[in-house]
Amino acid sequence: MDAVERANAERQKRWVKDQKIGEGTYAVVYRGREASTSKKVAIKKIKVGQFKDGLDMSAVREVKYLRELHHQNIIELMDVFSSKTNLNLVLEFLDSDLEIIIKDRTLVFLPADIKSWMAMTFHGLEFCHRNFILHRDLKPNNLLIAFNGQLKLADFGLARDFADPGYKMTCQVITRWYRPPELLFGCRYYGTGVDIWSVGCIFAELMLRTPYLPGESDMDQLKTVFRALGTPTEEDWPGHTKLPDYVPVGQFPRTPLRDLFTAASGDALSLLSRCLTYEPRRRVSAREALHHPYFTSLPYPTHPSKLPKPVSAQSRPLEEVDGNVQLSASGPGVKAAPPNRLKRKLSSPIDGLRPLARKLDFGQAL
Amino acid sequence: MSRPSNAGGWLKGTTVRKGGTAVTNSHSTRPNTPQVQSTSLTAFSGVKDTSGRTTEYFSMDDQCPVCKSDRYLNPKLRLLVSACYHKMCESCIDRLFTLGPAPCPICQKILRKLAFTPQTFEDLTVEKEVKVRRRIAKDFNKRREDFPDLRSYNDYLEEVEDITFNLINDLDVAETEARIERYRKENSTLIELNVRREEQYVQALKDQEEQDRLEREHRALEARKEEELEREEKEKDRREIIDRLETSTKDAVKVIAKSRAEANKRSSARTAATALAKSSAQLLRSRAAQSTTVPDVPHVPLQDDWYTYEDMYTLRDNYDDIYSEAVREDREGIMRAGGYRVQEAWDRAVRSAVTALFLPPLSGVSQSDITSGAPQSILTST
Repeated sequence: MDAVERANAERQKRWVKDQKIGEGTYAVVYRGREASTSKKVAIKKIKVGQFKDGLDMSAVREVKYLRELHHQNIIELMDVFSSKTNLNLVLEFLDSDLEIIIKDRTLVFLPADIKSWMAMTFHGLEFCHRNFILHRDLKPNNLLIAFNGQLKLADFGLARDFADPGYKMTCQVITRWYRPPELLFGCRYYGTGVDIWSVGCIFAELMLRTPYLPGESDMDQLKTVFRALGTPTEEDWPGHTKLPDYVPVGQFPRTPLRDLFTAASGDALSLLSRCLTYEPRRRVSAREALHHPYFTSLPYPTHPSKLPKPVSAQSRPLEEVDGNVQLSASGPGVKAAPPNRLKRKLSSPIDGLRPLARKLDFGQAL
Repeated sequence: MSRPSNAGGWLKGTTVRKGGTAVTNSHSTRPNTPQVQSTSLTAFSGVKDTSGRTTEYFSMDDQCPVCKSDRYLNPKLRLLVSACYHKMCESCIDRLFTLGPAPCPICQKILRKLAFTPQTFEDLTVEKEVKVRRRIAKDFNKRREDFPDLRSYNDYLEEVEDITFNLINDLDVAETEARIERYRKENSTLIELNVRREEQYVQALKDQEEQDRLEREHRALEARKEEELEREEKEKDRREIIDRLETSTKDAVKVIAKSRAEANKRSSARTAATALAKSSAQLLRSRAAQSTTVPDVPHVPLQDDWYTYEDMYTLRDNYDDIYSEAVREDREGIMRAGGYRVQEAWDRAVRSAVTALFLPPLSGVSQSDITSGAPQSILTST
């Protein structure tokens, strides 16, 4: 046994795998714990054997970036080890995600809660951008919530570092509803603006409690965006008509955000409009956003420990790590952008609260 | 409270303390406590109560200080207040001011007929204070958010209070007016903005109320439906039992017991489902009542002290960089439209060059540690 193998065996011994809690297309997620401290973790076993070209790309990306990013608002990758032909990622165990919280109608959001979540999102994102990494798949169910209320960016399966000048990047990233117009127009050279747009959509979703720009197809997504924010003119967004997949999708008038977000404060709308600016370079950067008056004005952001969270999260063992299950399940799915992703996966615990899903549960139990 | 000196002694003589000390007063069978009556006077700027209506002060002991007629002589007596805060009855006002502006019979100030307003408060100093405060609040409408710190906000409130006090007590009126005018000029945009904010807030409140009302109605409807459903179900159960008793050959007691158990199971499942759908108003209340043991802390833009090596290099606006020449030229404008910044690539390149320059080399680790654990520690420390 050589040194590497010995080290790997030692690492493997540190972690104990418990029951399986979810399966995605390229990974199985287990609940686990650290052998010495019995601290809860999530272990993501990546199936290697079945891929001809070796390891799945998103696994490589996830390990590559999470290994380096250590921040309180980014999920922690605690260890990596191999077992037989599989690769195992040991991740921090997190209770729920923002999507569960948004969908849970029994929770009430105060403006200060939204501010707190936004601040934590921007903190995490600023850290990524500062380290020259684009996340490229920000959406509520990739923002996981720890037991103490801290929000953490997760799923770095689509992340990449900033491209060198002239190198193309793929435009088939980011879940459609959160995808910025430049990617919808097929742009291959982009920057941090893509993540900011997603955060803007999440911000709006937090206020509305329903997805802000739910397009049914890539084409419809553009239409949805323009219907909400007005068709951009050459002045709003110089050069957008030259983008590879540009197609005119009709003229829609610009309506003030105030019409939809009636209860939002002026500061909140100002930040939202800076996130959802058409020209990517004029979009607010994560660092600028953190200095925006929205965050410093009253009310103060809610302390993370007081943020609303699903009441029964602790009492449902099987669905607890759902964020991580989603994380494994959504990665490759998004990349391929299958035609019908309008309906979000129905596996989140909130659905367990609905009468229909309850009925199904009863059926299985009997 | 000190009365202004020009209020005149007549005021004390005619005002009655609320709650009425003169209950034994013989001239009335009606209660002697001051009453209020709704008024429908046009162009009335009196004080509105919570329901949005204005109420007028009215007492059994009212007497017009000008013509000395009182409620005993004239039951329809109505006293109005002048701009100089003197009361007189409607007939005196008609008599004195119909032919145009005339001096006030008490303080000689020139008054107009239209400037008389109904009385809302028993004490005219309160009436005056309310009017002054309302006027001041129209212009001095800054909020806490408009100030950088609590200190300056408090200073501002102090100033507003000074001005109000001066106006109420007629001290340095000319100078105070000038101060108000100056303030108004300096802050015109902010005043405008705050007026709009206030309007928005009122609108939001109204919307909220409307929503609450709808929700209440919705809940009532839901409850009614629920009841209906329950009644129907019970009826159905009853019929079912009878049916079963008719067709089944089993023991009657057992059949009934079985149906009952089934019905119970169904109804408990239903109550469990409804218990989950708690009203949001209730939740909001519980949210507000949540423990405040952990205080909310102000936002800190950047929480970690991140060393960017910025003291080791300065980024120039432009570099003679052959690799990015095409990108910088950007003939089709797609770099700009897509948001790609070549500066970010330069920043990264230069920073990577200096990063960890002075990191001490690893020491005291054995060869095997380096092969297994070390790569990780290098990455985390950079």
